[in-house]
Amino acid sequence: MSFEPARAEILVIDDEVQIRRLLRLTLEDAGYQVREAESGWAGLQSAAAKAPDAVILDLGLPDLPGLEVLARLRKESALPVLILSVFGQEGSKIAGLDAGADDYLTKPFSDGELLARLRALLRRVKPAVAANRFTIGPIAVDIARRRVTHHGRTVKLTSMEYALLQMFITHRDKALTHRQILRELWGPKAEGQTHYLRTYMMRLRRKLEDEPDSPQYFQTESGIGYRFVTEP
Amino acid sequence: MDKPSRLIDREPHDGSSWLEYLEVVGVIALVTVAGWFSKLDYHALGQIYLLAVVLLAVRVGRWPVLFSAIVSAVTWNFLFIPPRWSLTILNFNDTMLLLSYLAVALMAGQFTARIRAQERYAHLRERQATALFHLTRALAGARTLDEAVEAALRQADGLFKARTALLIADDGVLQSHPAGSFQLDETDRRVSEWVQRHGREAGRFTDEQVAAEALHLPLLRSDVGLGVLAIRLPAEVTRLAADQWELMEGFAAQIALLVEREQLRAASEREKFFAESTRLQRALLDSVSHELKTPLAVLRSAGDKLHTEDAAKRSALTAEMRTATRRLDHLVANLLNQSRLESGALSVRPDWCEVRDILNAARRAMGEALNDRPLTISVPEDMPLLWGDEPLLEQVVANLLSNAVRHTPPATEICVSAGRTSTEGKEQVFIRVADRGPGIPPELRENLFEKFHRYRETRPGGLGLGLSIVRGFVRAHQGEVVAENHPGGGACFTVFLPHAWPAEIPADEL
Repeated sequence: MSFEPARAEILVIDDEVQIRRLLRLTLEDAGYQVREAESGWAGLQSAAAKAPDAVILDLGLPDLPGLEVLARLRKESALPVLILSVFGQEGSKIAGLDAGADDYLTKPFSDGELLARLRALLRRVKPAVAANRFTIGPIAVDIARRRVTHHGRTVKLTSMEYALLQMFITHRDKALTHRQILRELWGPKAEGQTHYLRTYMMRLRRKLEDEPDSPQYFQTESGIGYRFVTEP
Repeated sequence: MDKPSRLIDREPHDGSSWLEYLEVVGVIALVTVAGWFSKLDYHALGQIYLLAVVLLAVRVGRWPVLFSAIVSAVTWNFLFIPPRWSLTILNFNDTMLLLSYLAVALMAGQFTARIRAQERYAHLRERQATALFHLTRALAGARTLDEAVEAALRQADGLFKARTALLIADDGVLQSHPAGSFQLDETDRRVSEWVQRHGREAGRFTDEQVAAEALHLPLLRSDVGLGVLAIRLPAEVTRLAADQWELMEGFAAQIALLVEREQLRAASEREKFFAESTRLQRALLDSVSHELKTPLAVLRSAGDKLHTEDAAKRSALTAEMRTATRRLDHLVANLLNQSRLESGALSVRPDWCEVRDILNAARRAMGEALNDRPLTISVPEDMPLLWGDEPLLEQVVANLLSNAVRHTPPATEICVSAGRTSTEGKEQVFIRVADRGPGIPPELRENLFEKFHRYRETRPGGLGLGLSIVRGFVRAHQGEVVAENHPGGGACFTVFLPHAWPAEIPADEL
């Protein structure tokens, strides 16, 4: 597990004291600074007083709906937000992601998942892909020349497939909803056409995964969308 | 209850039609013609006229008989009693003869008419008894209150040539029963409510609320008003005979009995339902607490031991803790799913899904539980997309996998497959989870998908909700799940879902 060198500060907004304590333990262990807020209003105040580097926001707060807190945070800034939800809240997860949350985690989650999400979140604040080359496992992309190889063999991608891959690289390790991808690649009118996306993902997996039927990199987020996982 | 206003005896049958008068004229003409051409003297002919009148009395009503007596007397006198062609009678004897003829003929007519009226009354009684008998039989044969009410009202309609409506009191409010053959208007509704309040009949033919078009009878059982029976008789009926009253009251009493019986039945059903739900609740609490205790005990004890310096031991302990939490997670998910199903709060958000994604996610959700299992997943290359709710279908597959793991010996193989099939012209996609275990015992087949229907109560793991959730989720997709035993051994669960093709993707979008 690699540590973030900078002491990034994380604001945890959750009403459960035990969750806050455990998150503090985990995050401080991983080298982060932690600030806590036990309610939506307190969290908003804390964020307004001094912007943290990222926010972990529980969706089930007693005073203010999590989505409302998210909307108010987004009005002020683009700081990365990770939402926490519980089983059975698929609807609010999607709503949260579409409303600008950067990622989500479903309770209960493991430390590994949490830290991986947070790393991806903080990385995105920095320039997305600095180099002209992007390599992950057997996949290598020469961005300048739009050349993609798999285990060194050149893979021919259609322009739409390449656009999809590029979007995944930009937002790597982040959950992308069907809607976000469809809107970006096909435009707003294609938002409900999930079967386009399913068809493309199948092709992309067949071209770039070692085992397309149980993909390692292009993972499905059940009921939500996809995630391009760079550290499977 | 006294009912002075309605002890009016119905007029005996007096609806003599012109046909009966025609019959009278015909018979007398016949006797006259026969007498004219025969050699009988006028005394004997008088006897024959009398015979004809008495016979007519058996067939026709009171007034035609009277008419026949007079006509025959006049004819006899005019044509046969000397002097002929005249109504004058010369002889005192003949005058007496004619007068006594008239008296006998009139009396005969009266007597026979009375006998017939009695006969008709007896007949009416019999019809009444038959009607009530038919009613009770129809009621006994009815399986539900609605069927019984329908039968009772149709009987009443036919018997009284009337239209009927039934109002049943529900928490003090009168509710129209759909079996009624007319809609109560505003006035009739008010009268019904009056009847319900006072427990007395009202409306037409009574002394109360006479403006109403219908007659309203209370449905009383031990002085409690269960509702109101409204009867709308044809406009030409102006009076009701006592026997008709009795019959209607008999009907009302029968229907009241019926409504009461239904209410008692509903009450006992409710009680049974409560008893059953209490039983289920207890079963749920028992198994939830049992299911919670094991992983909690593991967590607690592993947590206590985490201080150990031995790294290998520590990693074993954390692995145990992970398994325990996964089990708790599964438990909570199933409880939540079951309650979503039962409360009707389950919302299916269907979209196009990839079967392989669903199977992978379900396998991942199972975690270590599948570690020692040879698991094969086979999905055909040309498997079409599936229209369904991805997380729900994932739960379906996970629950089937979990069921297979629980009911087969360790290290036995589990096969998951999917495909497209066509049964009875219906295109379907299927997902199948087959194991190589002992199969489903026949005694379990029937209630396999019922909740809390667990195989061996004491066996650890599982609430007995898994398969019930599977069926609930699949049905929410308009699909079906089928359990069978593999001919080669092992249980096999197949989920069938309706298949549809997504819209073609336009070439320029590709």
